[in-house]
Amino acid sequence: MSLAILFKDELNGFYRSKVMLFLWVGLPALAIILYIATSGVDQEGIPFSSFTALLVSVIGGVISAAMLTVGIINEREKHVYDLFLIRPVKRHSIVLSKFLAVYLCVVVAAVAAIMLGVAVDHFRSDLSSATLFSNILPAIIIAASMIAISCSAGILIGMSSPSVLVGVILVIYGANQLSTVAVLPVLTASSDEYFPLIPGLAITVVLLLMAIWVFNRKQL
Amino acid sequence: MLKDSELRNTDCIAEFERVTKSYGDIRALNNITFSVRQGEIFGYIGPNGAGKTTTIKILVGLIKNFGGLARVASGDSGAHSDRALGYLPQHAAFQEWRTVDHSLTTLGRLSGMSAQEVRKRIPEVLDLLGIADIRNRKIVHLSGGTIQKVGMAQAILHGPDFLVLDEPMAGLDPASRYQFKKVFRQLSKDGTTILFSSHILSDVQDVANRIGIVSHGTLIHEGTLEELRHRLVVPKDIDVMLSRDSGRWKELESVPGVASVELIEKGRMTVHLTQDADIDASIDGLVRELLDGGSKIRSIYPVNPNLEQLYVQFVTGGASA
Repeated sequence: MSLAILFKDELNGFYRSKVMLFLWVGLPALAIILYIATSGVDQEGIPFSSFTALLVSVIGGVISAAMLTVGIINEREKHVYDLFLIRPVKRHSIVLSKFLAVYLCVVVAAVAAIMLGVAVDHFRSDLSSATLFSNILPAIIIAASMIAISCSAGILIGMSSPSVLVGVILVIYGANQLSTVAVLPVLTASSDEYFPLIPGLAITVVLLLMAIWVFNRKQL
Repeated sequence: MLKDSELRNTDCIAEFERVTKSYGDIRALNNITFSVRQGEIFGYIGPNGAGKTTTIKILVGLIKNFGGLARVASGDSGAHSDRALGYLPQHAAFQEWRTVDHSLTTLGRLSGMSAQEVRKRIPEVLDLLGIADIRNRKIVHLSGGTIQKVGMAQAILHGPDFLVLDEPMAGLDPASRYQFKKVFRQLSKDGTTILFSSHILSDVQDVANRIGIVSHGTLIHEGTLEELRHRLVVPKDIDVMLSRDSGRWKELESVPGVASVELIEKGRMTVHLTQDADIDASIDGLVRELLDGGSKIRSIYPVNPNLEQLYVQFVTGGASA
């Protein structure tokens, strides 16, 4: 019950935030600008949809992780959670509601950006419709996996970091690098397009469990 | 925390028994034992760092790792109780992107209220606290005092039986403090038990039925203000104001029971009596002496020490008991 209330609340706050506005509008716009700017460069036949997926996964992942980290550290320092915790609210509900709300928003933004990429490819490239559509699912899976790792890492860093500065540094040098693990199966030429889900899911679950453990340990 | 069935005294809503809490080498609470009775307003006083906030956090279930026993009638602890407990932290904080209405709705729903109940109750509590006009304002745009009032609103929103308030009036202007005290009295009249901490002693004196004084992690008094006065070596002073001062005030020291006379300003003095002096007899003697000396008296009355003086005596080790 409390998880549902908190999730709905976090979602309500996040989807209308300035950060989300950037992810909704800014990221696809940035992808188009970068694609046009590099149009003279040999892109080795990378479709715009794949380019967008990678960009959204990396930048969207870092932004959402940083936002989660900064938000959690600020709320922890101000004891915002005290008012939740004296009510029948479990600590893991707070952690999971934040993760789910941000993850859902960022994944929706990523899917929207990827679909935009597919549309651009459809009008501009020589790729057949079948090829284009076959690229959509792997692109979404990679993006979803990378963003899941970034968001969960952002939450863990937020729960354990002593200050905002340390938290942001850890996000940039830790969460961002860790999220690329989801791409490794593709680089190793795995034929299974669902394979990035496995490390993505496993790392996300581990990071979230660690975040919950850290949050519980902070109970003096 | 233990369940209400394990409360030793059924008249009590909360009991602390030999509660200790340390942070590393620092002992924040040292064998604290006290109880809060149903329906009373219990003022918990102490200087900064005395252990008030630690006590309150144990009481509401935010600190679970401590020694001794803490029992609250509402359930295992604050974290597991439903509507029974209301809590206002020292610095109430909300997620800043929320509006007041949004914050209260969420916290009300998390307290087990239905959406309909919350919608009905929010305007009532905001109106009670005089902040009905900020319902749709964002938290980030509110002043510290107003956030404290929103904090109070969330604490009473669900109609708790037991209200625990950590320095609720710190940072409020005099009008808001007066309003809070009015709300405390109203809630108490309606059957809510209140424990609140403060170092603003006059606030405690105004509303508390009983008080607890904590110093260096140790509870040094639990009882009514009267009981506190009786435990202390209370200075016996008489305040004298003259409408005509003959200037012969030094002669007052010859009156039986008078220890010394302290001139505050022309026409006003404080007469310090000996501890065994009879106040009424001393006043009679002073009146006679002053009139015989050619002075005219505007007022003469015994000075009752207020809580502030008693408190300072206690925490500085001036208590007799």
